[in-house]
Formats: sequence, C-alpha cells, structure tokens
Amino acid sequence: MPNVNSEKGYVALLGWSLNAIDAVDRFDRKYVVVAPGWAEDYCTKNDIPFIAWDFDRLNERSHELAQNLKDEGVDVAIPLFEETVEWAGAVNAVLLNNPRLLGQAMLFRDKSLMKRRAQLGGIRVGVFEEAHDRGDVIRFLKRVNQTLLKLDGDPNDPIHFKAFDKSGTAGHRVVRTPEDVDNIPDEEFPALLESHLDGWEFAVEAWIKDRKIQFMNISEYVTLGYSVFVPATPELEQHRERITAEIEKLIEAFDIDFGFIHPEYFLTKDNNLYFGEVAYRPPGFNALELIERAYGFNGYQGMVLAFDPKATQEELDAFFPTPVKDAKGHAGCFGVYPRRRVVSELKVPDETANDPYFEYHELAEPLEQKVTKRTAFGTHWGLAYFFGEDPHRLRDLLKAQEELDFYL
Amino acid sequence: MTEIQGEIQRVCETLGVVAERLEQARPFAKYRHQKPVLEVVTRMLAMPGGLDAVYQAAPGLDAAGLFHGSDWDHPDILLPQIVGRTLESDDRMIVGLEAASLLRLLAIASGRATHPNIHADHARHFLTQVLALNLRSFFAANSEADRASAGDGHLRARLLRFIADHIGLRDVLGVLVAEIWRILEQRPIQIGPVKEMITEIAIALNRQGSEPGSERLGAERLVNALFGPTTGCLDDPGIEAYLERLTHMDDAGLLREATGFARAMHDTGLVSDYHAGFLRFAAEHQDALLVPEALGLGQTGQDCWRHYRELVLELIEMAVTVETPQSVHGLALLLERGVLHYLPIAPALSGQMRLRLHDAVRERLRLAYGGTITPEARLLAGVLDVLGQPLGVGQGANPTCQSARAIAVWGLNDPDFLLHLIAQAGEFDTILMHFEGQPINSADLPAGLAAGAPIDADPVSVLLVPHLDRVYAEMGRLCAPRGGDPHRWINPEFHGWWVARECLVAVDVATGNLADFDGFITRFYESYHPRFNGARPVIHPQPAGVAVTDANARFVGWHAIAILRAATDQTGQMRVYFYNPNNDSGQDWGGGVTVSTSGNGERHGEASLPFEQFASRLYLFHDDPVPPRQDITAVPEHLIAEVATMARQSWAAERGSQPVTLVGAS
Repeated sequence: MPNVNSEKGYVALLGWSLNAIDAVDRFDRKYVVVAPGWAEDYCTKNDIPFIAWDFDRLNERSHELAQNLKDEGVDVAIPLFEETVEWAGAVNAVLLNNPRLLGQAMLFRDKSLMKRRAQLGGIRVGVFEEAHDRGDVIRFLKRVNQTLLKLDGDPNDPIHFKAFDKSGTAGHRVVRTPEDVDNIPDEEFPALLESHLDGWEFAVEAWIKDRKIQFMNISEYVTLGYSVFVPATPELEQHRERITAEIEKLIEAFDIDFGFIHPEYFLTKDNNLYFGEVAYRPPGFNALELIERAYGFNGYQGMVLAFDPKATQEELDAFFPTPVKDAKGHAGCFGVYPRRRVVSELKVPDETANDPYFEYHELAEPLEQKVTKRTAFGTHWGLAYFFGEDPHRLRDLLKAQEELDFYL
Repeated sequence: MTEIQGEIQRVCETLGVVAERLEQARPFAKYRHQKPVLEVVTRMLAMPGGLDAVYQAAPGLDAAGLFHGSDWDHPDILLPQIVGRTLESDDRMIVGLEAASLLRLLAIASGRATHPNIHADHARHFLTQVLALNLRSFFAANSEADRASAGDGHLRARLLRFIADHIGLRDVLGVLVAEIWRILEQRPIQIGPVKEMITEIAIALNRQGSEPGSERLGAERLVNALFGPTTGCLDDPGIEAYLERLTHMDDAGLLREATGFARAMHDTGLVSDYHAGFLRFAAEHQDALLVPEALGLGQTGQDCWRHYRELVLELIEMAVTVETPQSVHGLALLLERGVLHYLPIAPALSGQMRLRLHDAVRERLRLAYGGTITPEARLLAGVLDVLGQPLGVGQGANPTCQSARAIAVWGLNDPDFLLHLIAQAGEFDTILMHFEGQPINSADLPAGLAAGAPIDADPVSVLLVPHLDRVYAEMGRLCAPRGGDPHRWINPEFHGWWVARECLVAVDVATGNLADFDGFITRFYESYHPRFNGARPVIHPQPAGVAVTDANARFVGWHAIAILRAATDQTGQMRVYFYNPNNDSGQDWGGGVTVSTSGNGERHGEASLPFEQFASRLYLFHDDPVPPRQDITAVPEHLIAEVATMARQSWAAERGSQPVTLVGAS
C-alpha cells in the first residue's frame, strides 16, 4: 500500500478475492482483508493486512467483528460475496451507527423478501412464489400453465427455480416438467419460483453514493449463463433513461445510501421492464473485468469510493467516465461448456482463434474425460474473452460460440 | 503479406492489454494474469512473424512478472538439459513459458535487455548449451516426419533455429565439444548423456557438413571414438559386418585394430561397440598378444594379465558385450591398478561370476537397463567399471551422495569389502552392517533419503544404494538423541576403520551458527596442509562435508565429498584434490571459487581447488585425535582470516537460522 492517503477512509474487504485485494492494494486507501483463517499464511507472506474471521454463521459474534473493526479504525466494510453481504450490513450498522443497514442486508440475502419489497416499492415483478418442497414447485408449474390457458398435453411454459441464498446462476434451474422437479436436490430448498418472462434479459452494475447513481453500466446477456458484453448494443442502451429510473426506484425501495448493486431485468416484448433480482456485491462472470477492458477503470476501486464515507463527490466525478461515450470498445466473454460427453483435449476452434475480436481464454485443460451432466446452469470450464468496435458483430460472435466445440 | 502483418499486429495489441494487467498486478496477484499472457504468447508463436514479435516483447513480459513465482524467475539456475523436454510438453502453457524465457534470454544475450539475475555472457552460454543439446531436433526439422506432424514439435525446431540464427551455430559446436571433453576428463562411469550428445553432433555434422575448423576437428575425434575408432570400422559398417571383416584380417591388421581401439579409449574414456566386439573376438581366439594390446595395458596391467589370464578371459567372456562396451575401459584400468595382486580380489571376482542374483535384484537391474543381457552380466560389467575407475561413480539424480561416496572410496581403498557387499546384496537383497557393535540389517529398514531405489546410476549403485541409504538413515536415527553432528559417529562406522576418529564441525548444530570458526580452519590447515602438518600426506580418503554454494556464492546445501590428497599443482600452488559424488564435479561455487576437474594436476575423476578456497567451503572433516605435535608449523593469522572472510561472504553469510540437518545431496 504505497500510496495510502490517511485523509481518506479505511475499508475492510469481507471475503477472499485476490482480484479485489490486488485492485485495492494498488489504490490509495488503507484496507484490511477479513477472511477465513486459511488465508492468514498467504497474507503474512505477501504483506496483506488481514483479520481472520469465520463467516459460516451469522450469530452473536457479528457484533464482535464490528467492534474489532471499529477499534481498528475501519470506516466501512465492503462485501465481496453473497455470503458476506449480511455481515457487511451488520458491521456497517455499527461502524456507521445506522441500524437500518442490517435489515437492508437481510432483504438482499433473501430472494423472496427482496421481490416483495420491490413490489411494495412500485417495481414491476413477474409472478413469484416461495417453495419449501417439490409439491410447491409442481403446484406453481401447473397454476402458471393453467393461467396461460394451456391444455393437457401442450408443452408447458417453463418456470424458474432459484435457491434462496445462492448467487448468480448457481442454484438457478429452468423447470418444465414434473421430472425436472424430481431432479432438484433437497438442499436447494427453500427456493423462489418465478414465471418465465419471454424477453431480453440484462444486468446493471451501479455504483451509488449519497443515494445518487455515480456510474451505471448495462451488461447485455447474449444467452443467460453463457455470454455477456459491455457496453450494450444501442438497441438496449436506448432504454438507459428508463433503466436509470428503475434503479432510482430500487434505491428508494431498498433505502440505499451508498454501495454497489447488481440487479437483473427483463425487457418484455410488450416493452415492459420487469425486475428480476438484485445483489449488493460484485457480479460473477468477471463483469468488472469486462468493464475495465471497455472503460479502463477498476470496478473494485470504484466500490471503495462508493462505500467510503470520506470519499468526495469530486473524487467520484474524476474517477468514473461517461457511460457508453467513453468506452474504447465493447468487451465480452463466453463461458465454455464441453458439448461432448467424453473429451480429452482443449482446442480453441479456428473460427474463434482467427477472429480479430478474440483476445484470449482462461479455459482449463480437461482433467477428466467424462463430462458430468449439467444440472442447474452450473459451472463453465473457463471463459473466452472478446473485444471489438462493433457491438452487433460482438453479439453475433458470442452467440456463434455456442455452436462450437472447444473440447474434443 | 500485409494481412499477416496486420494479424500479428493485432495480437500484439492484445498482448499489450494482458501484459499491462500483469505488470500492474501486485506480486501476490501476478499468477492470476500470467495465464492470459501465456495464452496470447502461445498463439503468437504459432503465427508467421510470431517468434520475432515475442522476441521483441519478451524482456517487457519478464519485467511485468511473467515468470514471477516460478523457477524461470531465476534464469541463473535454469538447467539447459531440461529445456528440450519442456518444449515437448503436452501443456501448451509450459511450452509458451519456456519459449518466452528462451527468447528473453536471447534478448539478454544479444544486449537488447538486461536482467538482475543473469549476465549477457551467461545467457549466451545457456542458449548455446540448449542448442547443443537439441542439435538433432532442429536439423531434423527438414525431415518428412516433422513436416507431417507440424504442431509443437515444429515450434521447437523453429524456435531453436531462430535462436541459432541470432547467436550463430559455430559457437554451438565448439561449446558442445568443449563440454563433452570437460565431462570425459572426469571419466564418469555413466556416459549415456555424453554418448547422446556425441550422437547429436554426428547427425549435425552429417546434415550440415559444417565449415572446417578446430571445432570440427574436435567433434570428429569424439564421433570417431564412438562410431569408428580404427581403420577397420571407420565407415561404421555395423557390428556384424565388422566381425566378418576381422576373420579376413592378417595379424598385422588385427594388431593395428587393437592399438587403434586402445588409443581411442584411453584418449577419450569412450569405448566403441566395435571395440567390445573386437575384444571378444580376440579373447575367443586366445590370442595372447591382441587382448593386452586392445586393452592398451602398461607394465602393471601386462603383469596382471600374465598372472590372471584365465580369470581375465572369463571376465571378458561374461561381462564384455556390445551392450556393455564401457566394461572394456573398466577392465583395462582394473588391471592397470594392480588390484588383482591384492589377495582376496581374484577369488572374489571368481565368486562374483558364479553368483545367482536374488529375484528382486534381477528385477531392479532389468528395470534400470532393460533385459537384452542377463542382470548378472550387467552387474559384472558394473563391477569392472567401479573397480577400474572408482572415482567415476556418480549419484545420478538422487539425494544419495553419502552412498555414492562410500562406493567410490571402497572401490578405491577397500575393493574386497566392496565386493563382499555386492555379493551379499546380490544374493540376498540385503546387507548387514554394524553400528557400535549393534547389527543393522538393511532388509529390515524403511527407505532412507531416496524414496525409491535409484535406477539412473551404474549397476553397482543400483544394487547397493537402496541398502546403503537405509543403513545410513538408520545410523542417523540411532545418533539423533545424542545431539551434535551425527557424522562424528556415522562416518567411521559406515565407511571403515580408516576414517579418522575425531570430527571437526564448523557449525553449532543446535543454533546453526558458526562455532569457533577460526579454530576449525586452523585445525584443518594443521591436519591437511603439507606445509603446516609436517608434510604428512593423506593416507586414506577422508570423508568431509562442504557447504555447496551457487554461482552467486549463495548457500545451496550440505554435500558429502572425500578428501583424497593435498599437493602442489604444476605451478606450485597448494591444492586439495577431492572426490565429489555429484555426476559433474566442475561447478562454479561463486566468489571466484570454481572447482577444477582437469588442467591443475587432477587425476581422472578428481576435483580440485586451491587449498584456501577449499577450506572456505568446508564445514566438516575428520582428523586423528593426537596430542600436540612438534612437527606442526604455526598457521599465519592472515591465512585464517582470509579463509574465514571467504566463508562469511558465501555460505556462512547468514549463519544463525538454518539448523544443520543430515548431509543430503545437492
């Protein structure tokens, strides 16, 4: 931490993310990493300020962590993972003397509460329900399809099943038939059930300070779970004003003074914006990396500014660029899944390798020949990165990757 | 063409993006960004113009941290022997890393870049060695097979040729030849790697028909020694055809062949397969003249041959084959040493030939050498080698310097005891030794320092090392409760009565700090330096321990050697001549201390250093417990101070933390 400015705030990073630590270590503020004890040796060896903490269960000890951080002089805690969001809420409630923050964090952690709160705030959401067992899922699947006036034997419209406290696509299943329901393991309950919305799905990353959006990025999904790029196409960006208004509604509904949110939306064919869910932490799929590639600023450093109570508006204005206009190009990535049942070799398809938009990949060499069947959206085997001028070309290129074999 | 340039240009820009991230990342986060860089580098290498592009970028990538956290970050310790295999790896990232490292070294060698850990000359030398060791693969690139299987093999050939274009090939041949001569001067028993390099040269000369010059002459001398040392086999006709030729030769012709073989063998230490064939032919025809002639025997050897003719013929019959040509050299030196005149040796060798090996031993020997000749013959050939050139024993890539040293000094000093151990281990797959009266049976013990039995060594080592290693470890275990350095007790018990009973150690074992270092040095001078010890020579080889340092004089590890003698070289400088069980004794220990293996009065297999330089790396030696003697000359203080300074500037620089552990290998 060579550039630390003691006038500025002191932040705690909750959770272990080397990318985040690296970015914050290069930034101008004092920081400390709060992570499980197994990280201690590594931190000592690399001069990373560290406090050991076990995040497994939120209990009466949360106050102890808050007190420790307060004694240490920390101004604010930043959650890096879904699992540390409520810890950050609990800690910040103490550090910032604002008990409301804990309740707010609980809303972010429970997908059902989150949806109801959004609904109460006047935000349009799809039909949803909570499920505690498989019977609930079957009932919801039937009711949704009855509502759509489907007859027996017509193919069902799918519903979405999301485990309450899992992030991103983990625990996200698309359910069409009672057999799909049978395949859901017990540990994924309770869960949130949602009707399927046909439309255009996208995500937003918003850095917020003083209840004001400091920077808002729109990440366009080409195919959910496979590919995303930033900034979005002009066709989606033309809705920026409406989307901004939606984010402002979220800020009101969830009472967000500061921080970073990552909501997902649907734009349906009848031109309605539906709210999907929102997370109070960095997105998966390396979206921050894509934003950095396109705009040149580091998203984690942006989060430090958004959280730090000592950050000034001038600092924020100087840090964030102008959306879309300041982007050097469009950056996207594609999550690769093996398409064959048995694979032995990683080989980037020539179409991909020779495409001028292709930059590099982080694909793992196949360790096992047999590919386990994907259940939920599951984990990809690595990402391939693309960058280029033309968002439409990039979108089509990302789409085309779905038909290619990276593993033979 | 412009399209190709555009393509590489574009990928270069991508490289810039990922390299910048790597550069910005903190050291602890570097590895996260290394893979993308390598991925782009790997793609570039395959593109036309890519090698040059990576060559241009390599110093920047190095500085950005591409090698951070890996061995490649210390180019001074990289081994040229491994490069060829790394470039063949299935893991493309490793191939890319090695390629980027070589191109970065090329930039350093050609003065385009600098590196804190390696000098331009060193980089150049390293690359020359890499080229030398891989001559075949880049000449062979023109072959049909290579064209058919493009891919990474193709990259390796292109990469090596790219490097050769920049630093020149003439150099390579010169370096390779010099390197081979340097190794051969030490007369190692294991000469597989040397033969491999000579084969590379033969192929290269054949393909390239290089320009004449002294390099070429030196190279041809080596190639001929292996593939055509005499007029009868100069055209490398194949062993069958050659044996056929012999039946038509007259006596003069045969004699000429015999002397030709002997000259080539004693000149290089290499034995051609034809030589082995010829000696069998001569032995079978009972030609009294041809055998000693083909062995190139001097007076002592001739004398042994006359006394033990039947035994020698039997040894040739059983041990000398085209599979084991080096046994000819071993046999010649064994006769020349005169050890057959030592009463137990002849019957012991007779017994050796009648030995039926234990099944497990046969298995181990087969595993190490394959099965074209019997394990008994393989072992007998190895026995001849060790008795003929005991200082040629090397430890292979195993942490077993203690065992290798023991075999070598027994071969030198106690050959009948060595034969006794070989017979025991061969027949029963165990050896029985004693520690202060307590019997230790190797078969009852768990593995020692070497996890598995070594198979990359000479046959005697393959047989004995697993046992010796276990016995040695057990003695260490028995000493553990006593505190202090265990070699004090182990060395005499393990090696024999002739190890001096007192043991001096420069380091306090408990703290790792130097302990009465000046006293230690003084005692060493008083015991071993002929000008101070009353001109008493070293009588038996004495085990000793050195602190091995690298070329930057940094401590590497403790290592077991044996002091053979202290004497003046041809310039009058007092030197310590010693045996190093390491396979190649010629090492740069930093701070101007370079171990010499020839040219300073060394006999084959000996290493040497000026007395004070040797003393500066010594940390353990044995001495006889004697009352104060009259014949000692006082050692001047400035000599002691000089040695102590050299030690403190190298291995003893940070004495205070590392505890002394059992001497392993380095």
